[in-house]
Amino acid sequence: MKIYESSVRKPISTILIFLGVIVFGLFSLRNLAVDMYPEMDIPSISVITTYSGANASDIETNITRVLEDNLNTVNNLKKMTSKSSDNISLITLEMEWGSDLDEAANDIRDAVNRVQSLLPDDADMPTIFKFSSSMIPVLMLSATADESYAALNKILDEKLVNVLNRIDGVGAVSLFGEPTREIQVNVDPKKMEAYNLSVEQLGNIIAQENINIPSGTIDIGNNTFNVKSDREFQSSDVLKRILVTQQNGRNVYLSDVAEVKDTLEKATMDERVNGQRGVRIIVQKQSGANTVKIAQAVMAALPGIEKTLPPDIKLDIIMDGSESITDSINSLSETVMYAFLFVILVVLFFLGRWRATFIICLTIPVSLVVSFIYLYMTGGTLNIISLSSLSIAIGMVVDDAIVVLENITTHIEKGSTPKEASIYATNEVWLAVIATTLTVVAVFLPLTMVSGMAGIMFRELGWIVTLVVCVSTLAAITLTPMLTSLMLKAQNSHTYKGLGIVFKPIDRFLDRLDEKYAGMLTWAVRHRTTVLVLSLGLFVGSLFLLRKVPTEFFPASDNGIIAAQVQLEQNIGVDFTAKIARQIDSIIYTKYPEVTVVSASAGAANSDNAFAAMQTTGSYIINYNLRLPRRTERERTIFEISDLLREDFDHIPEIRQYTVTPGGSQGGGASSASNVKLKVFGYDINQTNAVATDLKNKIAALPGTRDVHLSRDDLRPEYNVVFDRERLAYYGLNSTTASTYVRNRINGLTASKYREDGDEYDIIVRYAEPYRTSFEDIENITLYNSAGKAIKLKDVGTVTEEFAPPAIERENRQRVVSVEASLADGVPLGQVVEEINQLLADYTVPDGLALEVGGTVEDQQESFGDLMTLFLLIVMLVYIVMATQFESFKMPFIIMFTLPFAFTGVFLALFLTGTPLSLIALIGAIMLVGIVVKNGIVMVDYTNLLRERGSSINQAVINAGKSRLRPVLMTSLTTILGMLPLALGTGEGSEIWQPMGIAVIGGLTFSTMLTLLVIPVVYSVFGATGLKKERKKLARQYNDD
Amino acid sequence: MKAIFISYNQALNDRVMEVLDRHYARGFSKWELTHGRGSIDGEPHYGSHAWPSMNSSILTIVDENKASRIMDSLRDLDRQTTQGIRAFVWNVEDQL
Repeated sequence: MKIYESSVRKPISTILIFLGVIVFGLFSLRNLAVDMYPEMDIPSISVITTYSGANASDIETNITRVLEDNLNTVNNLKKMTSKSSDNISLITLEMEWGSDLDEAANDIRDAVNRVQSLLPDDADMPTIFKFSSSMIPVLMLSATADESYAALNKILDEKLVNVLNRIDGVGAVSLFGEPTREIQVNVDPKKMEAYNLSVEQLGNIIAQENINIPSGTIDIGNNTFNVKSDREFQSSDVLKRILVTQQNGRNVYLSDVAEVKDTLEKATMDERVNGQRGVRIIVQKQSGANTVKIAQAVMAALPGIEKTLPPDIKLDIIMDGSESITDSINSLSETVMYAFLFVILVVLFFLGRWRATFIICLTIPVSLVVSFIYLYMTGGTLNIISLSSLSIAIGMVVDDAIVVLENITTHIEKGSTPKEASIYATNEVWLAVIATTLTVVAVFLPLTMVSGMAGIMFRELGWIVTLVVCVSTLAAITLTPMLTSLMLKAQNSHTYKGLGIVFKPIDRFLDRLDEKYAGMLTWAVRHRTTVLVLSLGLFVGSLFLLRKVPTEFFPASDNGIIAAQVQLEQNIGVDFTAKIARQIDSIIYTKYPEVTVVSASAGAANSDNAFAAMQTTGSYIINYNLRLPRRTERERTIFEISDLLREDFDHIPEIRQYTVTPGGSQGGGASSASNVKLKVFGYDINQTNAVATDLKNKIAALPGTRDVHLSRDDLRPEYNVVFDRERLAYYGLNSTTASTYVRNRINGLTASKYREDGDEYDIIVRYAEPYRTSFEDIENITLYNSAGKAIKLKDVGTVTEEFAPPAIERENRQRVVSVEASLADGVPLGQVVEEINQLLADYTVPDGLALEVGGTVEDQQESFGDLMTLFLLIVMLVYIVMATQFESFKMPFIIMFTLPFAFTGVFLALFLTGTPLSLIALIGAIMLVGIVVKNGIVMVDYTNLLRERGSSINQAVINAGKSRLRPVLMTSLTTILGMLPLALGTGEGSEIWQPMGIAVIGGLTFSTMLTLLVIPVVYSVFGATGLKKERKKLARQYNDD
Repeated sequence: MKAIFISYNQALNDRVMEVLDRHYARGFSKWELTHGRGSIDGEPHYGSHAWPSMNSSILTIVDENKASRIMDSLRDLDRQTTQGIRAFVWNVEDQL
């Protein structure tokens, strides 16, 4: 017994099996985690090496180059970039997507071990650092305070950080810009000199006074007692009364030579939230933990935490990583529901019978639910890729059921009972149904094999659509006949009773449409040349249109976050930087009232966590994070606001350069905006700087670019204390001691730790601030030799002002400086890249330098290249599937004639809606290959059938067209309307998939209209030439005889 | 004794079997899938791409009075459907 026969004869088993699948699917759905994207490991590993005291070029020669030469041998290495700055070398190895990162890390470790002996002795062991997506913050909170500000660090640490850390899945909670308490001993160098004291001596004395020494145990009688001498400072005031020396029989106390202050560390960072002093709290998740769950747990814990905090401390949310996820998922779920509704309406419109509609639409949930089982089994998540896949598949899953049901209805109309019809009608079409499904599979299965970042995105799409479509076919040949055998009545035509009256005009309309179309076809097959020339012209015309459609990589989406980095002149201190930050704050408040949270952090954090390492900070840099309400709740998009913000920055003279990133830079992956990089390769720093600056000005003049800046900072002025070795030797000093003296006086000497309530605070001895504010102050620093003799720094050395490159960047072992630019609102990437290429065409590059356009365009070219290969592969596969189905080379060729028109439709739709050709639109176009040939198969298959039954070519073509018009229109319309909600893109984060919807709708609409004319015409052309050939052959045979 | 040869669209299988059962025609031989074509305007049944449907054929030997009743029932069935059913009756000369 065939599968469809068993299912009709055993309805209980059939129903229960599908019910089981649905239950399992719903169970999976309940347990599926929600996320933005499928899990992807960013294939990037860094090697960090520190070498104290070396400047950027020393680091480059001694560390970076040595390591780079060896790391170059690592397998699957795609790109190696490095940044050598003072004291530190950072090499980043970008691996091919999908390569095994653990293995790569091992290779890298081996390579590092091999060269370990070649590195300078003082250099630290290189650290291998694997970046993971768990480092992207899940939540960014801010805490602002008035009176409690000084104690904010301690309060937050105890009451917030510890509590949040206990939440399951929270990886790290770090504080930024928190005030740190320290005990300062600010010495007066003149008084010190008078008493013949040095900073080091003071430090020693303080360390010796602040000590606990266990002295052993004594036995008294039968008891043993511990003895200790506990001299640790009980309060910071004790310091003042420390005896430092005796002069002329008088005691000199610390307070006589220095000012002791129990205060907050001098801020290197000015952290403000909505203008108030505050602390930024960053919550990171454990690797593999679910963002949404953690964010929800943290949000749930916050009100409780807030109650335990002093009333003046206020917690705010700067960024909630889960919000955009839930918004996107909700809006996409809505899209899927609308698609479902549209498909039902289309089916009802054409069939006009609610039972038939019910049977067909039942295949939708049955097949969609299987994708949840797949996701659950493979550990996937409900993300925008998987949900969009459902939205894409929804219009296709009904196609098979429609074909089967249509044939069953025909049989019933001929007088079979529903049960007989269900079995034997399915028998007639089941192979054809499987064949058309194979063409869809031929398109989507190769998608799972795409490499690179696009591969990660489309693997899930490929699997889900393949699975769902296969299950829908299975349902169409089992569930559908089973249901028709039970539910359909043996009645011939509509009765138009009751509600059915609405179908009367619809039926009349459809009948008229059939007639009209048949008339048109009759005309077309008689004017074959005209039709072909016209359609060819249309296609060629659309190729010109393609030049008008710009390209981009990923459509940008408005997630309500704007990040900005503002750089002032170098060497500007944090205080002045903070002043400018306040000025910018007030501009934002007055001009952009829609911004709800303004988080500004000026200066550099001294924190050493991974998140800090990824951000560029400096005393002259302000990092902004702006938060806006949902897109639907405001009028201006983040892109418009970003452009306006840039104008505002232009009007502040202190700002040297800035970047505004709509979408934020930490959002990860696709949401952040595109950029363009022009890389200048070359060894000579001055020469490359000159070329890069020149190009920067030229690129800045292009209308589509914004925030143009160089990756390499200008040479930085610094004071260099150069000791004269001979003079040092004369005074009995060496360079190390002399340099340490200078460091202790300016940076300070950490003498000891002050302990209070289990926390430790540094006690720092250094020159009081007024004595370290000028060039002369450095020269006047007093050094002491071993004999205790005081020597002025100017006697043994000179202080010179120098300029040094702050960092040297390299890419693939070549020095590089890149000109980086963001794009203006609505300007597509391709347009700017083309402008830059034109600019470079007549730009003379000095000898030894090389230019290269990079940035997002690199990814774009790579992905577009991958997709082109994929496209060819898919076309070939589809051809093979069709050729085997028809056992003919000619038939698939006829069907493939529709493909160019699908692309015409895509270009036209993109052009009319002003949508750039992005990766997503391209995927849509590729999907069309499978969707549009389905129409062709239906037409050609039936024409062949009529030919075999003995009709003449033109008769067969016209009759087949007339009888297949409804199924073709129906399957096309279900797919088109299924995509409509996606193309309208109303929800949060839906901008990403909009181009796909537009491409598919445009392509399918256009190709369906033309398929209905062109395929019959081409068929009749081929058929006619075939006939002529046969006649000639026969004639020859006859003549030979 | 009469022999009845019934050739019909396989979709009618259940209903033809029902006719035989109704008239207690116990014995029969059946070809589940047969090709065929009507003499006047009957659609071909070839199980091919162009003509996907198939026939079934039954040969049953029954008493004379039963044969006419079966033929009446088959005529009824033929009237109800447009899918062909044809039956032919002839004499049985001898039997084991």
